[in-house]
Amino acid sequence: MKKFNTDAEKFSLVRREAIYTGLALVGLIIFWLIAGFGTASSEIKIFHLPLWAVLGTVGVWFVAIVISAILSKILFKDVDLGGDDDD
Amino acid sequence: MTEGNLSALLPLVIFMAFMVAISIFVRHKQAEKNFVSNYFIGNRQLGGFVLAMTTVATYSSVSSFVGGPGMAFQVGFGWIYMAVVQVTAIFLVLGIFGKRVALLARKLNAVTVVDIIRARFQSDFLAAVAAFVIVLFFCGTMTAQFVGGAKLFAAVTGYSYEAGLILFGLVVVVYTSIGGFRAVALTDTLCALIMMIGIVLLLHYVLQAGGGYENIMTTLEKNNPELFEPFSFGNMPWTIYFTQWLLVGICTIALPQSVVRGISYKNTAGLHQAMLIGTVVVGFMNIGINFTGILAHGVLTGTAADYGGVDNVIPTTIVRAMPPELVGLAIIGPLAASISTISGLLIVASSAIVKDVYLHYAEKNNHVVTPSRVKFLSMATTALIGGAVFVIALTPPSLIWLINMFAFGGLETAFFWTLLLGLFWKRANKLGAMLSMTGGTIIYCATQAAGFKIFNLHQITIGITCSLILFLIGSYFGKKSDEETLKIFFPTK
Repeated sequence: MKKFNTDAEKFSLVRREAIYTGLALVGLIIFWLIAGFGTASSEIKIFHLPLWAVLGTVGVWFVAIVISAILSKILFKDVDLGGDDDD
Repeated sequence: MTEGNLSALLPLVIFMAFMVAISIFVRHKQAEKNFVSNYFIGNRQLGGFVLAMTTVATYSSVSSFVGGPGMAFQVGFGWIYMAVVQVTAIFLVLGIFGKRVALLARKLNAVTVVDIIRARFQSDFLAAVAAFVIVLFFCGTMTAQFVGGAKLFAAVTGYSYEAGLILFGLVVVVYTSIGGFRAVALTDTLCALIMMIGIVLLLHYVLQAGGGYENIMTTLEKNNPELFEPFSFGNMPWTIYFTQWLLVGICTIALPQSVVRGISYKNTAGLHQAMLIGTVVVGFMNIGINFTGILAHGVLTGTAADYGGVDNVIPTTIVRAMPPELVGLAIIGPLAASISTISGLLIVASSAIVKDVYLHYAEKNNHVVTPSRVKFLSMATTALIGGAVFVIALTPPSLIWLINMFAFGGLETAFFWTLLLGLFWKRANKLGAMLSMTGGTIIYCATQAAGFKIFNLHQITIGITCSLILFLIGSYFGKKSDEETLKIFFPTK
Protein backbone atom coordinates (compact mmCIF):
# COMPACT_ATOMS: atom_id res chain seq x y z
CA MET A 1 0.00 0.00 0.00
CA LYS A 2 1.31 3.41 -0.96
CA LYS A 3 2.27 5.68 1.93
CA PHE A 4 1.50 9.36 1.77
CA ASN A 5 4.24 10.96 3.80
CA THR A 6 4.47 14.59 2.82
CA ASP A 7 1.78 17.27 3.03
CA ALA A 8 2.02 17.77 -0.73
CA GLU A 9 1.27 14.08 -1.37
CA LYS A 10 -1.60 14.08 1.09
CA PHE A 11 -3.20 17.25 -0.30
CA SER A 12 -2.78 16.06 -3.85
CA LEU A 13 -4.50 12.78 -2.95
CA VAL A 14 -7.31 14.64 -1.21
CA ARG A 15 -7.78 16.86 -4.26
CA ARG A 16 -7.97 13.79 -6.51
CA GLU A 17 -10.51 12.16 -4.20
CA ALA A 18 -12.65 15.32 -4.23
CA ILE A 19 -12.62 15.20 -8.05
CA TYR A 20 -13.67 11.53 -7.99
CA THR A 21 -16.53 12.52 -5.67
CA GLY A 22 -17.60 15.32 -8.01
CA LEU A 23 -17.54 12.93 -10.99
CA ALA A 24 -19.56 10.42 -8.96
CA LEU A 25 -22.15 13.14 -8.39
CA VAL A 26 -22.36 13.86 -12.12
CA GLY A 27 -22.79 10.13 -12.77
CA LEU A 28 -25.55 9.87 -10.20
CA ILE A 29 -27.39 12.89 -11.61
CA ILE A 30 -27.32 11.31 -15.08
CA PHE A 31 -28.58 8.00 -13.67
CA TRP A 32 -31.31 9.85 -11.73
CA LEU A 33 -32.50 11.58 -14.91
CA ILE A 34 -32.54 8.40 -17.00
CA ALA A 35 -33.96 6.18 -14.26
CA GLY A 36 -36.87 8.50 -13.48
CA PHE A 37 -37.86 10.86 -16.30
CA GLY A 38 -36.22 8.60 -18.89
CA THR A 39 -38.47 5.63 -18.12
CA ALA A 40 -41.64 7.56 -17.20
CA SER A 41 -43.46 6.50 -20.38
CA SER A 42 -42.83 2.78 -19.78
CA GLU A 43 -45.88 0.62 -19.01
CA ILE A 44 -43.86 -1.85 -16.94
CA LYS A 45 -44.93 -2.20 -13.32
CA ILE A 46 -43.07 -3.77 -10.42
CA PHE A 47 -45.08 -4.48 -7.25
CA HIS A 48 -47.81 -2.10 -8.47
CA LEU A 49 -45.24 0.66 -9.00
CA PRO A 50 -44.39 2.14 -12.40
CA LEU A 51 -40.85 1.42 -13.53
CA TRP A 52 -39.77 5.08 -13.15
CA ALA A 53 -40.92 5.13 -9.51
CA VAL A 54 -38.79 2.07 -8.70
CA LEU A 55 -35.65 3.00 -10.65
CA GLY A 56 -35.91 6.68 -9.71
CA THR A 57 -36.11 6.02 -5.98
CA VAL A 58 -34.80 2.65 -4.78
CA GLY A 59 -32.66 2.39 -7.94
CA VAL A 60 -31.01 5.75 -7.28
CA TRP A 61 -30.42 4.78 -3.67
CA PHE A 62 -28.72 1.50 -4.67
CA VAL A 63 -26.55 3.26 -7.22
CA ALA A 64 -25.58 5.83 -4.56
CA ILE A 65 -24.59 2.98 -2.25
CA VAL A 66 -22.50 1.37 -5.01
CA ILE A 67 -20.87 4.74 -5.73
CA SER A 68 -20.09 5.27 -2.04
CA ALA A 69 -18.62 1.77 -1.84
CA ILE A 70 -16.42 2.32 -4.92
CA LEU A 71 -15.25 5.68 -3.60
CA SER A 72 -14.60 4.61 -0.04
CA LYS A 73 -13.25 1.10 -0.62
CA ILE A 74 -11.40 1.40 -3.93
CA LEU A 75 -10.60 4.97 -4.90
CA PHE A 76 -10.07 6.58 -1.50
CA LYS A 77 -6.82 5.84 0.33
CA ASP A 78 -5.96 5.89 4.00
CA VAL A 79 -3.72 8.72 5.09
CA ASP A 80 -2.21 9.71 8.39
CA LEU A 81 -4.02 12.92 9.26
CA GLY A 82 -1.21 14.09 11.50
CA GLY A 83 -1.64 15.60 14.96
CA ASP A 84 -1.14 13.78 18.22
CA ASP A 85 -4.73 12.54 18.39
CA ASP A 86 -4.58 10.44 15.27
CA ASP A 87 -4.02 6.71 15.38
CA MET B 1 -51.49 18.62 31.13
CA THR B 2 -54.12 16.32 32.55
CA GLU B 3 -56.19 15.31 29.54
CA GLY B 4 -53.33 13.71 27.55
CA ASN B 5 -52.45 10.10 26.92
CA LEU B 6 -50.04 9.09 29.71
CA SER B 7 -48.87 5.95 27.92
CA ALA B 8 -47.84 8.17 25.00
CA LEU B 9 -45.79 10.33 27.31
CA LEU B 10 -43.87 7.69 29.23
CA PRO B 11 -41.56 6.36 26.45
CA LEU B 12 -40.60 9.92 25.58
CA VAL B 13 -39.83 10.80 29.20
CA ILE B 14 -37.62 7.69 29.50
CA PHE B 15 -35.91 8.49 26.18
CA MET B 16 -35.16 12.08 27.17
CA ALA B 17 -33.91 11.01 30.61
CA PHE B 18 -31.55 8.60 28.86
CA MET B 19 -30.23 11.41 26.67
CA VAL B 20 -29.44 13.52 29.73
CA ALA B 21 -27.75 10.52 31.37
CA ILE B 22 -25.51 10.06 28.30
CA SER B 23 -24.57 13.71 28.45
CA ILE B 24 -23.66 13.61 32.14
CA PHE B 25 -21.65 10.42 31.58
CA VAL B 26 -19.72 12.03 28.71
CA ARG B 27 -18.97 15.16 30.76
CA HIS B 28 -17.75 13.02 33.65
CA LYS B 29 -15.58 10.78 31.41
CA GLN B 30 -13.85 13.65 29.66
CA ALA B 31 -13.46 16.01 32.57
CA GLU B 32 -9.66 16.02 32.43
CA LYS B 33 -9.15 16.60 28.71
CA ASN B 34 -8.64 19.81 26.68
CA PHE B 35 -12.00 21.48 27.26
CA VAL B 36 -12.47 23.58 24.11
CA SER B 37 -11.43 20.84 21.69
CA ASN B 38 -13.42 18.30 23.65
CA TYR B 39 -16.56 20.38 24.10
CA PHE B 40 -16.83 21.64 20.51
CA ILE B 41 -15.49 18.71 18.44
CA GLY B 42 -15.24 15.77 20.85
CA ASN B 43 -11.42 15.73 20.72
CA ARG B 44 -11.46 14.35 17.16
CA GLN B 45 -12.32 10.91 18.40
CA LEU B 46 -15.42 9.93 16.41
CA GLY B 47 -15.42 6.50 14.77
CA GLY B 48 -17.05 5.72 11.41
CA PHE B 49 -20.42 4.57 12.66
CA VAL B 50 -20.97 7.50 15.02
CA LEU B 51 -19.68 9.95 12.39
CA ALA B 52 -22.21 8.61 9.86
CA MET B 53 -25.09 8.67 12.31
CA THR B 54 -24.42 12.13 13.71
CA THR B 55 -24.05 13.60 10.19
CA VAL B 56 -27.30 11.97 9.04
CA ALA B 57 -29.21 12.83 12.23
CA THR B 58 -28.20 16.49 12.18
CA TYR B 59 -29.07 16.68 8.49
CA SER B 60 -32.47 14.93 8.82
CA SER B 61 -34.84 17.33 10.51
CA VAL B 62 -38.38 17.06 11.80
CA SER B 63 -39.65 18.31 8.43
CA SER B 64 -38.15 15.18 6.80
CA PHE B 65 -40.47 13.19 9.07
CA VAL B 66 -43.60 15.35 9.08
CA GLY B 67 -43.88 17.89 6.25
CA GLY B 68 -42.05 15.70 3.69
CA PRO B 69 -44.19 12.55 3.96
CA GLY B 70 -47.26 14.80 4.14
CA MET B 71 -46.26 16.17 0.73
CA ALA B 72 -45.65 12.61 -0.51
CA PHE B 73 -49.23 11.80 0.57
CA GLN B 74 -50.41 14.67 -1.60
CA VAL B 75 -48.24 14.42 -4.73
CA GLY B 76 -47.11 10.78 -4.74
CA PHE B 77 -43.97 9.08 -6.01
CA GLY B 78 -42.67 12.24 -7.64
CA TRP B 79 -42.00 13.50 -4.12
CA ILE B 80 -39.84 10.46 -3.29
CA TYR B 81 -38.06 10.81 -6.64
CA MET B 82 -37.27 14.39 -5.65
CA ALA B 83 -36.40 13.60 -2.01
CA VAL B 84 -34.03 10.77 -2.95
CA VAL B 85 -31.47 13.33 -4.20
CA GLN B 86 -30.54 13.58 -0.52
CA VAL B 87 -28.66 10.28 -0.82
CA THR B 88 -25.81 12.38 -2.19
CA ALA B 89 -25.55 14.53 0.93
CA ILE B 90 -23.30 12.31 3.05
CA PHE B 91 -20.82 10.98 0.47
CA LEU B 92 -20.49 14.45 -1.04
CA VAL B 93 -19.70 16.36 2.15
CA LEU B 94 -17.37 13.66 3.51
CA GLY B 95 -15.82 12.90 0.10
CA ILE B 96 -15.13 16.51 -0.85
CA PHE B 97 -14.43 18.19 2.48
CA GLY B 98 -13.91 15.32 4.95
CA LYS B 99 -10.16 14.76 4.58
CA ARG B 100 -9.15 18.25 3.56
CA VAL B 101 -10.84 19.79 6.58
CA ALA B 102 -9.39 17.11 8.87
CA LEU B 103 -5.84 17.68 7.61
CA LEU B 104 -6.17 21.45 7.89
CA ALA B 105 -7.78 21.35 11.33
CA ARG B 106 -4.83 19.36 12.66
CA LYS B 107 -2.29 21.66 11.01
CA LEU B 108 -3.99 24.81 12.22
CA ASN B 109 -5.25 23.40 15.50
CA ALA B 110 -8.70 24.49 14.32
CA VAL B 111 -11.81 23.57 16.23
CA THR B 112 -14.46 25.19 14.03
CA VAL B 113 -15.18 25.79 10.35
CA VAL B 114 -14.79 29.52 11.04
CA ASP B 115 -11.25 28.86 12.33
CA ILE B 116 -10.41 27.41 8.92
CA ILE B 117 -12.07 30.28 7.03
CA ARG B 118 -10.16 32.79 9.18
CA ALA B 119 -6.85 31.07 8.47
CA ARG B 120 -7.50 30.69 4.74
CA PHE B 121 -8.52 34.30 4.11
CA GLN B 122 -6.58 35.94 6.95
CA SER B 123 -9.57 38.02 7.94
CA ASP B 124 -11.11 38.54 11.35
CA PHE B 125 -13.94 40.48 9.74
CA LEU B 126 -14.86 37.58 7.48
CA ALA B 127 -14.68 35.21 10.44
CA ALA B 128 -16.99 37.47 12.44
CA VAL B 129 -19.46 37.64 9.53
CA ALA B 130 -19.33 33.85 9.20
CA ALA B 131 -20.00 33.43 12.94
CA PHE B 132 -22.88 35.91 12.73
CA VAL B 133 -24.43 34.15 9.72
CA ILE B 134 -24.16 30.81 11.51
CA VAL B 135 -25.85 32.04 14.68
CA LEU B 136 -28.57 33.93 12.78
CA PHE B 137 -29.62 31.15 10.41
CA PHE B 138 -29.14 28.39 12.97
CA CYS B 139 -31.55 30.17 15.31
CA GLY B 140 -34.12 30.17 12.49
CA THR B 141 -33.61 26.46 11.84
CA MET B 142 -33.70 25.58 15.53
CA THR B 143 -36.93 27.52 16.04
CA ALA B 144 -38.50 25.54 13.19
CA GLN B 145 -37.37 22.29 14.85
CA PHE B 146 -38.74 23.30 18.25
CA VAL B 147 -42.10 24.37 16.81
CA GLY B 148 -42.43 21.37 14.49
CA GLY B 149 -41.59 18.91 17.26
CA ALA B 150 -43.87 20.51 19.84
CA LYS B 151 -46.80 20.68 17.41
CA LEU B 152 -46.36 17.02 16.56
CA PHE B 153 -46.16 16.19 20.28
CA ALA B 154 -49.39 18.07 21.01
CA ALA B 155 -51.27 16.52 18.08
CA VAL B 156 -50.30 12.96 18.93
CA THR B 157 -50.27 12.85 22.75
CA GLY B 158 -53.11 15.24 23.57
CA TYR B 159 -50.85 17.23 25.90
CA SER B 160 -50.27 20.93 25.33
CA TYR B 161 -47.79 22.45 22.87
CA GLU B 162 -45.95 24.08 25.79
CA ALA B 163 -45.66 20.76 27.64
CA GLY B 164 -44.01 19.27 24.56
CA LEU B 165 -41.67 22.19 24.22
CA ILE B 166 -40.56 21.85 27.83
CA LEU B 167 -40.26 18.07 27.72
CA PHE B 168 -38.12 17.69 24.62
CA GLY B 169 -37.04 21.27 23.88
CA LEU B 170 -35.67 22.22 27.24
CA VAL B 171 -34.10 18.80 27.75
CA VAL B 172 -32.14 18.98 24.48
CA VAL B 173 -30.76 22.36 25.52
CA VAL B 174 -29.75 20.91 28.91
CA TYR B 175 -28.01 17.81 27.57
CA THR B 176 -26.20 19.70 24.81
CA SER B 177 -25.00 22.34 27.27
CA ILE B 178 -23.67 19.71 29.67
CA GLY B 179 -22.14 17.19 27.30
CA GLY B 180 -20.96 19.24 24.30
CA PHE B 181 -20.14 17.73 20.90
CA ARG B 182 -19.32 14.23 22.09
CA ALA B 183 -22.70 13.95 23.81
CA VAL B 184 -24.35 15.40 20.70
CA ALA B 185 -22.67 12.76 18.51
CA LEU B 186 -23.66 9.87 20.79
CA THR B 187 -27.25 11.05 21.31
CA ASP B 188 -27.51 11.71 17.54
CA THR B 189 -26.50 8.11 16.92
CA LEU B 190 -29.24 6.93 19.24
CA CYS B 191 -31.69 9.32 17.57
CA ALA B 192 -30.83 8.02 14.09
CA LEU B 193 -31.40 4.42 15.23
CA ILE B 194 -34.70 5.40 16.85
CA MET B 195 -35.76 7.23 13.67
CA MET B 196 -35.21 4.05 11.64
CA ILE B 197 -37.10 1.90 14.15
CA GLY B 198 -39.91 4.50 14.15
CA ILE B 199 -40.20 4.33 10.36
CA VAL B 200 -40.37 0.51 10.33
CA LEU B 201 -42.94 0.54 13.13
CA LEU B 202 -45.16 3.12 11.43
CA LEU B 203 -44.88 1.40 8.05
CA HIS B 204 -45.93 -1.90 9.61
CA TYR B 205 -49.03 -0.45 11.27
CA VAL B 206 -50.00 1.66 8.25
CA LEU B 207 -49.91 -1.46 6.07
CA GLN B 208 -51.95 -3.36 8.66
CA ALA B 209 -54.54 -0.60 9.10
CA GLY B 210 -54.87 -0.16 5.33
CA GLY B 211 -55.58 -3.85 4.70
CA GLY B 212 -52.15 -4.71 3.32
CA TYR B 213 -49.88 -3.41 0.52
CA GLU B 214 -51.87 -5.07 -2.28
CA ASN B 215 -55.12 -3.51 -1.14
CA ILE B 216 -53.72 0.00 -0.62
CA MET B 217 -51.91 0.09 -3.95
CA THR B 218 -54.87 -1.27 -5.95
CA THR B 219 -57.11 1.41 -4.47
CA LEU B 220 -54.52 4.13 -5.13
CA GLU B 221 -54.05 3.05 -8.77
CA LYS B 222 -57.81 3.35 -9.27
CA ASN B 223 -58.52 6.54 -7.31
CA ASN B 224 -55.27 8.56 -7.36
CA PRO B 225 -53.53 8.13 -10.73
CA GLU B 226 -51.69 11.45 -10.23
CA LEU B 227 -49.57 9.79 -7.50
CA PHE B 228 -47.98 7.54 -10.15
CA GLU B 229 -46.89 10.30 -12.51
CA PRO B 230 -43.53 12.14 -12.02
CA PHE B 231 -45.07 15.59 -12.47
CA SER B 232 -48.16 14.55 -10.49
CA PHE B 233 -50.49 16.16 -13.07
CA GLY B 234 -48.83 19.55 -12.49
CA ASN B 235 -48.33 19.33 -8.71
CA MET B 236 -44.58 18.63 -9.12
CA PRO B 237 -43.20 21.08 -11.69
CA TRP B 238 -39.61 20.69 -12.95
CA THR B 239 -38.64 23.78 -10.98
CA ILE B 240 -39.11 21.88 -7.70
CA TYR B 241 -36.85 19.06 -8.92
CA PHE B 242 -34.17 21.50 -10.01
CA THR B 243 -34.31 23.58 -6.85
CA GLN B 244 -34.23 20.56 -4.58
CA TRP B 245 -31.09 19.25 -6.24
CA LEU B 246 -29.44 22.48 -5.14
CA LEU B 247 -31.15 23.06 -1.81
CA VAL B 248 -31.12 19.60 -0.24
CA GLY B 249 -28.56 17.90 -2.49
CA ILE B 250 -25.45 19.56 -3.90
CA CYS B 251 -25.26 22.73 -1.81
CA THR B 252 -25.69 20.92 1.50
CA ILE B 253 -21.99 20.01 1.33
CA ALA B 254 -21.18 23.50 2.61
CA LEU B 255 -23.50 23.52 5.60
CA PRO B 256 -21.22 24.37 8.55
CA GLN B 257 -22.97 21.79 10.76
CA SER B 258 -22.00 19.08 8.24
CA VAL B 259 -18.49 20.34 7.41
CA VAL B 260 -17.55 20.54 11.11
CA ARG B 261 -17.96 16.77 11.26
CA GLY B 262 -14.86 16.62 9.08
CA ILE B 263 -12.89 18.04 12.00
CA SER B 264 -14.31 15.58 14.49
CA TYR B 265 -13.40 12.08 13.29
CA LYS B 266 -10.46 10.00 14.37
CA ASN B 267 -8.96 8.52 11.20
CA THR B 268 -9.62 8.11 7.49
CA ALA B 269 -10.77 4.49 7.84
CA GLY B 270 -13.65 5.87 9.92
CA LEU B 271 -14.39 8.51 7.28
CA HIS B 272 -14.58 5.89 4.52
CA GLN B 273 -16.87 3.74 6.63
CA ALA B 274 -19.10 6.75 7.41
CA MET B 275 -19.55 7.59 3.71
CA LEU B 276 -21.01 4.17 3.04
CA ILE B 277 -23.09 3.83 6.22
CA GLY B 278 -24.40 7.39 5.90
CA THR B 279 -25.56 6.82 2.32
CA VAL B 280 -27.36 3.60 3.28
CA VAL B 281 -29.06 5.25 6.26
CA VAL B 282 -30.08 8.52 4.61
CA GLY B 283 -31.64 6.62 1.67
CA PHE B 284 -33.47 4.23 3.97
CA MET B 285 -34.94 7.09 5.98
CA ASN B 286 -35.92 9.20 2.97
CA ILE B 287 -37.54 6.45 0.96
CA GLY B 288 -39.00 4.72 4.02
CA ILE B 289 -40.80 7.69 5.57
CA ASN B 290 -42.00 9.20 2.28
CA PHE B 291 -43.29 5.85 1.02
CA THR B 292 -45.12 5.51 4.35
CA GLY B 293 -46.63 8.94 3.65
CA ILE B 294 -48.08 7.67 0.36
CA LEU B 295 -49.31 4.43 1.92
CA ALA B 296 -51.08 6.53 4.58
CA HIS B 297 -53.88 6.79 2.00
CA GLY B 298 -54.85 3.37 3.29
CA VAL B 299 -55.52 4.93 6.69
CA LEU B 300 -56.69 8.44 5.74
CA THR B 301 -59.33 8.43 3.04
CA GLY B 302 -59.66 12.20 2.54
CA THR B 303 -57.29 14.75 1.09
CA ALA B 304 -54.47 16.39 3.11
CA ALA B 305 -56.66 19.50 3.49
CA ASP B 306 -59.33 17.40 5.24
CA TYR B 307 -56.84 16.76 8.05
CA GLY B 308 -55.67 20.38 8.34
CA GLY B 309 -52.90 20.33 5.71
CA VAL B 310 -49.86 18.23 4.82
CA ASP B 311 -48.21 18.77 8.22
CA ASN B 312 -51.06 16.92 9.92
CA VAL B 313 -50.94 13.81 7.73
CA ILE B 314 -48.28 11.91 9.70
CA PRO B 315 -49.54 12.90 13.21
CA THR B 316 -53.09 11.84 12.24
CA THR B 317 -51.78 8.62 10.69
CA ILE B 318 -49.86 7.79 13.87
CA VAL B 319 -52.96 8.30 16.02
CA ARG B 320 -55.25 6.30 13.72
CA ALA B 321 -52.96 3.46 12.68
CA MET B 322 -50.95 2.70 15.82
CA PRO B 323 -52.24 0.95 18.92
CA PRO B 324 -52.55 3.57 21.73
CA GLU B 325 -49.83 1.88 23.79
CA LEU B 326 -47.32 2.26 20.91
CA VAL B 327 -48.10 5.86 20.00
CA GLY B 328 -45.48 7.05 22.47
CA LEU B 329 -42.82 4.96 20.74
CA ALA B 330 -43.84 6.11 17.27
CA ILE B 331 -43.57 9.78 18.18
CA ILE B 332 -39.99 9.38 19.42
CA GLY B 333 -38.79 8.88 15.81
CA PRO B 334 -39.82 12.31 14.47
CA LEU B 335 -38.94 13.99 17.76
CA ALA B 336 -35.50 12.36 17.60
CA ALA B 337 -35.09 13.97 14.16
CA SER B 338 -35.96 17.29 15.72
CA ILE B 339 -33.73 17.11 18.80
CA SER B 340 -30.73 15.71 16.92
CA THR B 341 -30.86 18.66 14.53
CA ILE B 342 -31.24 21.15 17.40
CA SER B 343 -28.32 19.70 19.36
CA GLY B 344 -26.06 19.65 16.28
CA LEU B 345 -26.81 23.27 15.46
CA LEU B 346 -26.71 24.45 19.05
CA ILE B 347 -23.16 23.28 19.67
CA VAL B 348 -21.89 24.87 16.42
CA ALA B 349 -23.71 28.15 17.18
CA SER B 350 -22.19 28.16 20.66
CA SER B 351 -18.70 27.52 19.25
CA ALA B 352 -19.21 30.45 16.83
CA ILE B 353 -19.69 32.81 19.76
CA VAL B 354 -17.28 31.39 22.34
CA LYS B 355 -14.44 30.09 20.18
CA ASP B 356 -14.68 32.17 17.01
CA VAL B 357 -15.45 35.51 18.59
CA TYR B 358 -14.76 35.65 22.33
CA LEU B 359 -11.67 33.43 22.68
CA HIS B 360 -10.13 34.75 19.47
CA TYR B 361 -10.37 38.36 20.60
CA ALA B 362 -9.20 37.51 24.09
CA GLU B 363 -6.12 35.81 22.63
CA LYS B 364 -5.48 38.65 20.23
CA ASN B 365 -5.60 41.21 23.04
CA ASN B 366 -3.50 39.01 25.35
CA HIS B 367 -6.31 38.51 27.83
CA VAL B 368 -5.81 35.36 29.82
CA VAL B 369 -8.98 33.27 30.02
CA THR B 370 -8.83 30.62 32.72
CA PRO B 371 -9.93 27.06 31.83
CA SER B 372 -12.75 27.24 34.37
CA ARG B 373 -14.02 30.46 32.77
CA VAL B 374 -13.90 28.89 29.29
CA LYS B 375 -15.85 25.94 30.61
CA PHE B 376 -18.45 28.14 32.27
CA LEU B 377 -18.80 30.42 29.23
CA SER B 378 -19.13 27.53 26.78
CA MET B 379 -21.85 25.80 28.75
CA ALA B 380 -23.63 29.07 29.57
CA THR B 381 -23.57 30.24 25.94
CA THR B 382 -24.99 26.94 24.72
CA ALA B 383 -27.73 27.18 27.34
CA LEU B 384 -28.42 30.84 26.53
CA ILE B 385 -28.79 30.34 22.77
CA GLY B 386 -30.98 27.29 23.35
CA GLY B 387 -33.01 29.22 25.94
CA ALA B 388 -33.51 32.16 23.57
CA VAL B 389 -34.75 29.89 20.77
CA PHE B 390 -36.99 28.10 23.28
CA VAL B 391 -38.60 31.43 24.24
CA ILE B 392 -39.17 32.37 20.57
CA ALA B 393 -40.78 28.97 20.01
CA LEU B 394 -43.22 29.55 22.90
CA THR B 395 -45.06 31.97 20.61
CA PRO B 396 -44.46 30.20 17.31
CA PRO B 397 -44.05 32.38 14.24
CA SER B 398 -46.23 31.44 11.28
CA LEU B 399 -44.87 29.81 8.08
CA ILE B 400 -42.35 27.88 10.12
CA TRP B 401 -41.34 25.47 7.33
CA LEU B 402 -40.54 28.38 5.08
CA ILE B 403 -38.25 29.78 7.79
CA ASN B 404 -36.46 26.42 7.86
CA MET B 405 -35.91 26.40 4.10
CA PHE B 406 -34.97 30.08 4.14
CA ALA B 407 -32.24 29.38 6.71
CA PHE B 408 -30.96 26.37 4.74
CA GLY B 409 -30.62 28.47 1.59
CA GLY B 410 -28.99 31.34 3.48
CA LEU B 411 -26.28 29.11 4.95
CA GLU B 412 -25.59 27.51 1.58
CA THR B 413 -25.35 30.88 -0.15
CA ALA B 414 -22.93 32.16 2.50
CA PHE B 415 -20.65 29.13 2.74
CA PHE B 416 -20.80 27.14 -0.52
CA TRP B 417 -18.28 29.05 -2.63
CA THR B 418 -16.30 30.33 0.35
CA LEU B 419 -15.52 26.77 1.40
CA LEU B 420 -15.42 25.03 -1.98
CA LEU B 421 -13.30 27.59 -3.80
CA GLY B 422 -11.44 28.64 -0.66
CA LEU B 423 -10.20 25.10 -0.02
CA PHE B 424 -9.64 23.98 -3.61
CA TRP B 425 -8.67 27.09 -5.58
CA LYS B 426 -5.38 28.88 -4.93
CA ARG B 427 -6.59 32.05 -6.58
CA ALA B 428 -9.49 32.41 -4.12
CA ASN B 429 -8.80 35.41 -1.90
CA LYS B 430 -10.13 37.54 0.94
CA LEU B 431 -12.01 40.04 -1.25
CA GLY B 432 -13.73 37.26 -3.19
CA ALA B 433 -14.82 35.46 -0.03
CA MET B 434 -15.95 38.67 1.62
CA LEU B 435 -18.03 39.78 -1.39
CA SER B 436 -19.44 36.31 -1.86
CA MET B 437 -20.46 35.75 1.75
CA THR B 438 -21.83 39.20 2.55
CA GLY B 439 -23.13 40.17 -0.90
CA GLY B 440 -24.58 36.74 -1.72
CA THR B 441 -26.34 36.47 1.64
CA ILE B 442 -27.77 40.01 1.42
CA ILE B 443 -29.03 39.41 -2.14
CA TYR B 444 -30.53 36.09 -1.08
CA CYS B 445 -32.32 37.64 1.91
CA ALA B 446 -33.52 40.62 -0.17
CA THR B 447 -34.99 38.41 -2.90
CA GLN B 448 -36.67 36.29 -0.23
CA ALA B 449 -38.12 39.38 1.45
CA ALA B 450 -39.34 40.78 -1.87
CA GLY B 451 -40.64 37.41 -3.05
CA PHE B 452 -38.59 37.88 -6.23
CA LYS B 453 -37.99 34.72 -8.26
CA ILE B 454 -36.55 33.86 -11.66
CA PHE B 455 -38.46 31.16 -13.62
CA ASN B 456 -40.34 30.57 -10.36
CA LEU B 457 -37.23 28.90 -8.89
CA HIS B 458 -36.40 29.09 -5.16
CA GLN B 459 -34.17 32.08 -4.32
CA ILE B 460 -31.23 29.75 -3.58
CA THR B 461 -30.60 29.78 -7.34
CA ILE B 462 -30.20 33.57 -7.26
CA GLY B 463 -28.18 33.52 -4.03
CA ILE B 464 -25.75 30.81 -5.14
CA THR B 465 -25.27 32.38 -8.61
CA CYS B 466 -24.67 35.88 -7.24
CA SER B 467 -22.28 34.63 -4.57
CA LEU B 468 -20.26 32.81 -7.28
CA ILE B 469 -20.10 35.88 -9.51
CA LEU B 470 -19.06 38.06 -6.58
CA PHE B 471 -16.45 35.52 -5.52
CA LEU B 472 -14.90 35.45 -9.00
CA ILE B 473 -14.93 39.26 -9.33
CA GLY B 474 -13.27 39.65 -5.92
CA SER B 475 -10.70 36.95 -6.62
CA TYR B 476 -9.64 38.43 -9.95
CA PHE B 477 -9.52 42.04 -8.77
CA GLY B 478 -8.42 41.56 -5.16
CA LYS B 479 -4.97 40.92 -3.72
CA LYS B 480 -3.74 37.34 -3.90
CA SER B 481 -3.44 35.33 -0.69
CA ASP B 482 0.04 35.49 0.84
CA GLU B 483 2.59 32.74 0.22
CA GLU B 484 2.59 31.55 3.83
CA THR B 485 -1.14 30.88 3.73
CA LEU B 486 -0.94 29.16 0.35
CA LYS B 487 1.85 26.90 1.66
CA ILE B 488 -0.47 25.68 4.40
CA PHE B 489 -3.56 25.22 2.24
CA PHE B 490 -1.86 24.09 -0.98
CA PRO B 491 1.49 22.53 -0.03
CA THR B 492 3.72 21.70 -2.96
CA LYS B 493 6.54 19.81 -1.28
